[in-house]
Amino acid sequence: MKPSVKNTGKANNRDKDVSQPIQTATPQVVRLIKKTSRRQRRNIIAFSAFIAPNFILLSIFTFWPIFYSLYLSFFKWNMISPIKKFIGIQNYSSLMQDPIFWKVLKNTFYLAAGTVFIKLAIALMLALLLNRRMRGRNLYRAILFSPTFTTSVAVAMVWGWILDPTYGLFRVFINSIGLRSPNWLTDVHWALPAVIIVIIWRSLGYDMVFFLAGLQSIPKDLYDAAKVDGASRLQLFRYVTFPMLSPTTFFLTIVSVIGALKAFDIIAIMTDGGPLNSTNVFVLYLYQNAFEWFKTGYASAIALILFVLIMGITLIQTRLSKRWVHY
Amino acid sequence: MKRAVRDIIIISVLLMLALPAFIFAGAEEEAAPTGPIDIVYWRALTGAAGDTQDELVVRFNEAQTRVVAEAQFQGAYAELLQKLLAGLAAGSVPDVVLLDSPFVGLFAKDGALVSLDSFVAADKTDFDLTDYVPGLLQDGYYGKNLYALPFMRSTPLIYYNADMFREVGLPDRAPDTWDELREFSRKLTKVENGETARYGTAFTLSRSSAHWYFQGGVYAYGGQISDDQFGIHLQEAPAMAVAQLWQDMVMKDKIAIGSTDPHTEFLNGRVGIVFGSTGSMGSLMSRATFEVIGAFIPQKVQRLVPVGGSVLAMPSTDKTRQSAAWDFMKYMTNAASNSYVIQKTGYMPVTKSAANYPDTVAYYAQYPERKVAVEQLAYTRPQASVISLGMGTEILRQMLEKLLIGGLPVSQVMAETTAALEKEYNDSYK
Repeated sequence: MKPSVKNTGKANNRDKDVSQPIQTATPQVVRLIKKTSRRQRRNIIAFSAFIAPNFILLSIFTFWPIFYSLYLSFFKWNMISPIKKFIGIQNYSSLMQDPIFWKVLKNTFYLAAGTVFIKLAIALMLALLLNRRMRGRNLYRAILFSPTFTTSVAVAMVWGWILDPTYGLFRVFINSIGLRSPNWLTDVHWALPAVIIVIIWRSLGYDMVFFLAGLQSIPKDLYDAAKVDGASRLQLFRYVTFPMLSPTTFFLTIVSVIGALKAFDIIAIMTDGGPLNSTNVFVLYLYQNAFEWFKTGYASAIALILFVLIMGITLIQTRLSKRWVHY
Repeated sequence: MKRAVRDIIIISVLLMLALPAFIFAGAEEEAAPTGPIDIVYWRALTGAAGDTQDELVVRFNEAQTRVVAEAQFQGAYAELLQKLLAGLAAGSVPDVVLLDSPFVGLFAKDGALVSLDSFVAADKTDFDLTDYVPGLLQDGYYGKNLYALPFMRSTPLIYYNADMFREVGLPDRAPDTWDELREFSRKLTKVENGETARYGTAFTLSRSSAHWYFQGGVYAYGGQISDDQFGIHLQEAPAMAVAQLWQDMVMKDKIAIGSTDPHTEFLNGRVGIVFGSTGSMGSLMSRATFEVIGAFIPQKVQRLVPVGGSVLAMPSTDKTRQSAAWDFMKYMTNAASNSYVIQKTGYMPVTKSAANYPDTVAYYAQYPERKVAVEQLAYTRPQASVISLGMGTEILRQMLEKLLIGGLPVSQVMAETTAALEKEYNDSYK
């Protein structure tokens, strides 16, 4: 306490004050300072040693590719030629004029909106249903969760057969009850909805499990208190369940949106982006440009735009979350 | 204790840092100069065409002691291309690679392939370049240099379901002209309860070969998609006529469909006629539960088809391994090997000596219906120049999608496609 009082007393002569304590420090203090700095140094070494394995791998396989991709996006390069030709922002400007890119962008957002809202709503309903005491509850949960741990390639193949326009199971079923089935995967208007259905089906169980966990962590007393106050079931949901679940909902929204923006495997196998690019999405288009059409720089530009988009959307969501998420 | 922990941490960090060095050291390891030379061969394709390559590699290793070749499976043509790109970027490439024939130029242009001319000139064995069928050797050239030897070459064919032909009272032969194809398709089409249960023909919309059959149509009509100078001829009468015919058959007559997997439709009896490579003959005939017959692509003003299939090329970067790779390429395409390929898969003879090889002659005597591949060899021509552009095949596939699925007007589609191909050419070459 004393030195600080002394310092404030001589506030008009700062330089002197700062050097003062060190000059007048006793040998014990000097040792203490040395000791802590040695300990700090050791801490820093230990800290670096602990993060090094992760940091090195992340640098090689994540950070370096990101920066290299940014670099490549200013070049024209087919991966074969030894020469990378610098073309400035031409990749970006031709992207802006690429009608397929805009279509892909539209498809991606359509897919994101379609999957996220419908999927979360169904998952929440299922979670509410399966949170009640009922016979075979665990079996239902297991069944609904099972698509999540099925390989996406297998999911896509099987759904491809189910929705096949000529011999698909769905068509056989619909025809047998006297209706006409759309040509799901070969019709420009139906292919994207078909893909959305499959993606929802696959990740529904995952979201449901998170909602279940969220529901179970809501304290019983809140419901009891609300009931004492005469809340109806709808009011219980509106004023207790939903706000208490909001962190879970928020987490799932972000994860689902990112997942939808990164959709690739199921689409690549079910439709390969077709027909007429009606199901082509960001990552698939990026992949096609880079590895099928030898346009590495162009693909890198797409990757950068996707990066900025995901970052932006997540930031906006985090901002908005303050209004409706209660921790 | 503390010291021990610290030491462990330090050692593990050092190991982490050194790890990449070990990995790279492993990759750089060269074969000892004394032992046999190890070379790596990247193969593509599955089924009979894939097994045949593996078998030939085994035979090559047994036949001599200087070189040991290892076949590494890389997936379909397109996947192999992707891995080759990654390999080139990483500076680690196979010694010999199976390439889809139109892509020779793409890789040779940027120096990724070794020119074979010096090996041909220096070869002291009885190797004879003039033994190769000229039409097949031709697309191994880029500029004036040879970069690839023809290996599993094919021409497009049509395959028809002979049982279905008999059922609807069609003659027991393939449609000879494009007009006849339309007529036959109409007879084969079956409508049940207002829905078409069976179509006459399935046009291919798959990424790998959609463009190929369309080229066949354009050649038959006396035109071409593009010339050697990359002039695009899609808006001329022959290409326009083929596009119009295909679209009318799908959209107006409803006697044909465009499909990304036409062979499955064919094997399930949903269509009567499909297009396919000569290389698919073995697999289609063995899988079908009905009689399959392969025949020429229909003609119009002439009979002419674009030749396809694969070639062997050499990306090897090491002088010793290059000479070993050359031995391997010669072995894979010699008369005995080629005759084995012909018998197992239905691909075409690539040399005159393979065509006259006793086994080949005996094989065709036993299965005369498979001879169609050799007979069509007389009417072949390399593919359009635009196929060698990175996105060339894809632009043509999109064109067919617009025609057969989108139903857009032919003149508009052809104009758009021409513009896209011209842009792609400028992107690739300028």
